[in-house]
Amino acid sequence: MAAKIGVYLCSGCGIGEVLDPAGLLQVAEDDRRVALVRESDFFCGQDAGLIQGDVTDRVVDAVVLAACSPRFYVKVFDYGPGLPVVRVNLREQVAWCHESGSEDTQMLAEDALRMALARAGGSAVPEPFRLENPSRAILVVGGGLAGLTAALEAARAAYRVILVERENSLGGWLRNVYRCAPLRPPYAESAENPFHLLSREVESHPGIVVYRGASIERTAGGPGQFDVTVRQGERLLKERVGSIIVATGAGAYDPAKLTRLKNLAYGTSPNIIVSSKFEELALRGGGRVARPSDGREVRRAAFIQCAGSRDPEHLPYCSAACCVETLKQAQYLLEPDPDCTVFIYYRDLRANGQYEHFYKKVQEEGAVFIQGEVVHVADRGGSLSVEADDLSLGCRSRVEGLDLVVLATGMIPDVAGGGPEQGALKLDYRQGPELPALKYGFPDSHFICFPYETRRTGIYAAGSVREPMDLVTTLEDAAGAALKAIQCVEMTARGQAVHPRALDVSYPEFNMSRCTQCKRCTEECPFGAINEDAGSNPLPQITRCRRCGTCLGACPERIVSFKDYSVALISSMIKAIEVPDGDEEKLRVLVFACENDAYPALDLAGAAGLKYNAWVRIIPLRCLGSLNPVWIADAMSRGIDGVLLMGCRQGEDYQCHFINGSELARTRIMNVSETLDRMGLEAGRIKMVEVEIIDYTKIPAILDGFADELAALGPNPLKGF
Amino acid sequence: MKTLKGAGAAQPLLYDCGFAREIYALEGGAQLKRCMQCGVCAVSCPSRQEMDYTPRRLFSLIRAGRKEEVLDANTIWVCTSCCTCRVRCPRGIDILGLMHELQFYYLRSWFKVHSRASFQQAFWQELRERGRIGEAGVMLRCWLKEGGLTGAVLKSLEMKGTGLRLLRRGRLRLIPPKIEGLTGLNKIIDKALAQQGYAE
Amino acid sequence: MVGGGISGLTAAVEAAEAGFDVLLLEKKPGLGGRVAQLNLYFPKLCSPNCGLEIIFKRLAANSRFRFLTSAEVIAVSGGEGSFEVVVNLKPTFVKENCTGCGRCAEVCPAERPNAFNFGFDRTKAAYLPHRLAFPYRYVIDGEACRGPSCARCTAACPYGAIDLEMEARTLILKAGSVIWAAGWEPYDTARLGNYGGGRYPNVITNMVLERMASPGGPTSGKILRPSDRREPASIAFVQCAGSRDENHLRTCSGVCCLVSLKQAAYVRECCPEARLAMFYIDIRARGFYEDFYARVREGTGIELTKGKPGEIREDPATGNLLVLVENQLNGRVLEENFELVVLAAGMAPSALCAGLPASARDRDGFVSPVLAPGFYAAGCATRPMEVAPAVRSGAAAALRAVQWLGRRGHGR
Repeated sequence: MAAKIGVYLCSGCGIGEVLDPAGLLQVAEDDRRVALVRESDFFCGQDAGLIQGDVTDRVVDAVVLAACSPRFYVKVFDYGPGLPVVRVNLREQVAWCHESGSEDTQMLAEDALRMALARAGGSAVPEPFRLENPSRAILVVGGGLAGLTAALEAARAAYRVILVERENSLGGWLRNVYRCAPLRPPYAESAENPFHLLSREVESHPGIVVYRGASIERTAGGPGQFDVTVRQGERLLKERVGSIIVATGAGAYDPAKLTRLKNLAYGTSPNIIVSSKFEELALRGGGRVARPSDGREVRRAAFIQCAGSRDPEHLPYCSAACCVETLKQAQYLLEPDPDCTVFIYYRDLRANGQYEHFYKKVQEEGAVFIQGEVVHVADRGGSLSVEADDLSLGCRSRVEGLDLVVLATGMIPDVAGGGPEQGALKLDYRQGPELPALKYGFPDSHFICFPYETRRTGIYAAGSVREPMDLVTTLEDAAGAALKAIQCVEMTARGQAVHPRALDVSYPEFNMSRCTQCKRCTEECPFGAINEDAGSNPLPQITRCRRCGTCLGACPERIVSFKDYSVALISSMIKAIEVPDGDEEKLRVLVFACENDAYPALDLAGAAGLKYNAWVRIIPLRCLGSLNPVWIADAMSRGIDGVLLMGCRQGEDYQCHFINGSELARTRIMNVSETLDRMGLEAGRIKMVEVEIIDYTKIPAILDGFADELAALGPNPLKGF
Repeated sequence: MKTLKGAGAAQPLLYDCGFAREIYALEGGAQLKRCMQCGVCAVSCPSRQEMDYTPRRLFSLIRAGRKEEVLDANTIWVCTSCCTCRVRCPRGIDILGLMHELQFYYLRSWFKVHSRASFQQAFWQELRERGRIGEAGVMLRCWLKEGGLTGAVLKSLEMKGTGLRLLRRGRLRLIPPKIEGLTGLNKIIDKALAQQGYAE
Repeated sequence: MVGGGISGLTAAVEAAEAGFDVLLLEKKPGLGGRVAQLNLYFPKLCSPNCGLEIIFKRLAANSRFRFLTSAEVIAVSGGEGSFEVVVNLKPTFVKENCTGCGRCAEVCPAERPNAFNFGFDRTKAAYLPHRLAFPYRYVIDGEACRGPSCARCTAACPYGAIDLEMEARTLILKAGSVIWAAGWEPYDTARLGNYGGGRYPNVITNMVLERMASPGGPTSGKILRPSDRREPASIAFVQCAGSRDENHLRTCSGVCCLVSLKQAAYVRECCPEARLAMFYIDIRARGFYEDFYARVREGTGIELTKGKPGEIREDPATGNLLVLVENQLNGRVLEENFELVVLAAGMAPSALCAGLPASARDRDGFVSPVLAPGFYAAGCATRPMEVAPAVRSGAAAALRAVQWLGRRGHGR
């Protein structure tokens, strides 16, 4: 705990014109932990040395800097891991958005300083959680294109790799593929299947251990110390790895289910086949495709796209790769024999990006593209026909005398229910053995910004197990996942958190003597970081922790604390707020702002010069998921008139960097309203809003609107108690 | 705009690739394969109001092997060679050239005489016989082909007003002189046709 | 790292967190690239600033990360382990000790068209690149600035951060590996004469609509017709404006279908009554984006017409636009009237740059993800892509760029 706080009051960037420094000085002087106060208008520039000097001379053991937002000059005001720096946001959140020289603005600034002093005084210096002998090895599960690529790319960076493949040979899906869709710019020519080359390179790489015909029996531990039990036949092998790449790939949509698509007549003729079967025929025939019924060479064929995909009854999504795969398959017929006739039925030809060249090439080779819906496929004595509502002709059309009809079936992730890889990891986690999934069974992640992050720290999904993707995307995806896996082992070895609180060395500690085994922390942790022992006691696995503080917010007994973030610490900040008597008609509104979105939005409102009431007192939280309801009770009993929670968007399109923080906070405040009732307070004193950074223009309406609602309720009756 | 035969009827249109292959074999005909049915040509054509089918639809009919619909349609004949479709075609198809090829194809292989085809033939006859184009000669030849002698007389009477006005202003010569070196010109034309594979 | 857009930033932050030293060079005065200009991402319809903010936050605290803005790479030479990168530092006339207080802009008498908003509004010659700028530092537009004879900003700046005499500098930097992430540019729709791009005020590009719809944009988030600043009653989205076209960009840009669908979704929010229509060749909503396509189709009532418009004509009296397109079902040419047309302009690879030999580009102008040992490329410099693959491509390039260090025992 800091005992010699240095307070540095900046008057630059307009702060000095809005605030009276004497009042702030008084606040600092009133706190007996303050060892020294300095003033300047340029701490970030020419006076930066002043603070550094005090730190070097050990005059201070904590710095409270009342200046601009903590979002700026992070490195300038960084004095090493042993010295807490607490920033008081006087620029963006006071001087730039409140009336100059007003009593309310001054009170806001002084409260902000008191809160910062409470925080600095109550924070201890976090010590990184270092494993004794962290493993830097990387486990890759799945030996298909994504797995082989990830393994090789990681090994090329000199990391030891363990590759586990369920089949007896490597290659996955590609083993049954004749040629590949274009892999290199300008993406106009199909490519040789790279799997022989890849698997040979993987098998001969000294840094890669390959277990074929193997599966995982159990995965325990966490990043830096995953203990993986691999079963290979009768043998059980133990491996310790630092991180895991899941590249179990995708499987084809169950052809049996296609029989429900009556129009495609799948199952009624040996010559109506799925695309994987066609690939197999081409591979077996060395490029020549013989039709299944009589082995005759195929001279006339139709390919039907979206067999099962883009269909609410089957796969509502598009399987991404099939259009380009079909283009390639059409070439199998057209290239050796330009007199072959190939029809391709499609809804939208999805040859995105540079694949457009490939599309054009296959057109030039003579494939006939028919846009429309297939209404009927039939086999009459070995001669097949297809009927479709033909968009380009504007009427129904028919093709007869076909030797073969190929249905382009979609892909489903192999971790999803039904796939042969179900149970690929068998995680020894309280929250279940597999990766929590998004819609359709693909692993959950913020798939736009942070695609590799699953909800299990140190376990990264790569390739089509995460979403339907083509080969080019898979190659890149696998390399990226390898970097994430490397990053994870390195950061874990340094005792740092991984994304999104990268570099953070604080971690939650549990005061077990007061635990009541309520299991809230183990259930609510979005990353499954807390296991349970036989007596239902939480067993935190620190290297799995992302440091969001959800456990801290979940615990009714307040036993979870970080060195610099705890229930008591935030409570002390709330207690530092001076609450005027009810008859002064000065509301006090406590705002808990998510530090990732809402807090920057508040900054932006200030930078844009938007004005709002000076009754708000803002406490940034790591995530609203770390909101402990006790803080609301604290605020209410202090006489604060209302509490506003500013979090990010919930639901399917959630934005929370910790998956469901604001959702958890909402549940918690719903429970709090009962408590409020008991205290004789209105539920309307607590409100939650979803705020994105770009919503900064709405900040005044949100804050002033809530103040109006509180004014209508009248002052908190608990004021002065 | 023509409605497709069989469109909406119980019988679906049957794809027959033989005709398409014939067309693909024409000079530049293979470009047609590249068509992605975007429809820019349809909009870009100044004669689109006159056309039975837009070029895009014509190409889809060729692909489907609908020889009769394709050659019965006036599309290839009302093309004014303005080249806009060719300039705009996102697939870079020389649509204009294709139209000309289709015209030749028609004349070579189709048993019917299309009204627009008779104009084409009259144009070439006049050129080969006189070495230049005289409006009166071309039109008379055209009307003779279309309606025989009676038809030509009736049509001439119908157009008499226009003809007289043109005559008064000196824009029309009833019998323009032949050019010198007509034989040479015909040799050039023959050679060009032979080079393109159209020798009789 | 050449380029501070989403793929460059991702490569930088991922490599720095893995423990490698990164120096990022950005041509523009601020980081964030094209995504900083976007209103919302598809399919989540969330603001790109959220993702940028967390990247900036991670970078701001990372001592392994350094960057230079207004820094243009003019040559790259050498090989793995010993590259030499020649950088031209353009003068911004504001030094690094700028605190972002904004006094300079308050007193500046000169104005410039705001390139960030495609010239739809103006800023002072001393300006902040945009509200969420990183670094949060003002710059002065040398062309608009009245120069040392004015110098009001110099007098107003409390921190002596302004140097109107600043000159361009050339730096030679050393790097072990190079990642090229120079990104893309919206295709110049002025070259689409038949669409009236650049000629008709109410024919705008999708990027302009992004800025317009952004709460921080030139119209504070309102969708207004440029000609009369009125809310349009009908909007047409014209796909493949330059893409999939032998005369312009021969590739499909891969993202424009989804961009237009996204725009339809947010336009529907602010113009609930407007008629929305989209003209396309194929709707290329691959993978999970199909869900989004279905959601927008049903949720916005957008009219979807298969067919590429051949022409757009303006009625000079009203500024309204006639879109000519073939209805493929019956072969008729439709002539539809709209008050605003949004061209889905394609992604062109960023212009030729001396730092990269022309031979490194493929026939579309994109560069291979692996240019040479130690020299890699990421993001839209390699092929047209949306944000999610650009992020992954950044991470992939970062891995390749650190492999040689790994082999030398880095970190162990």
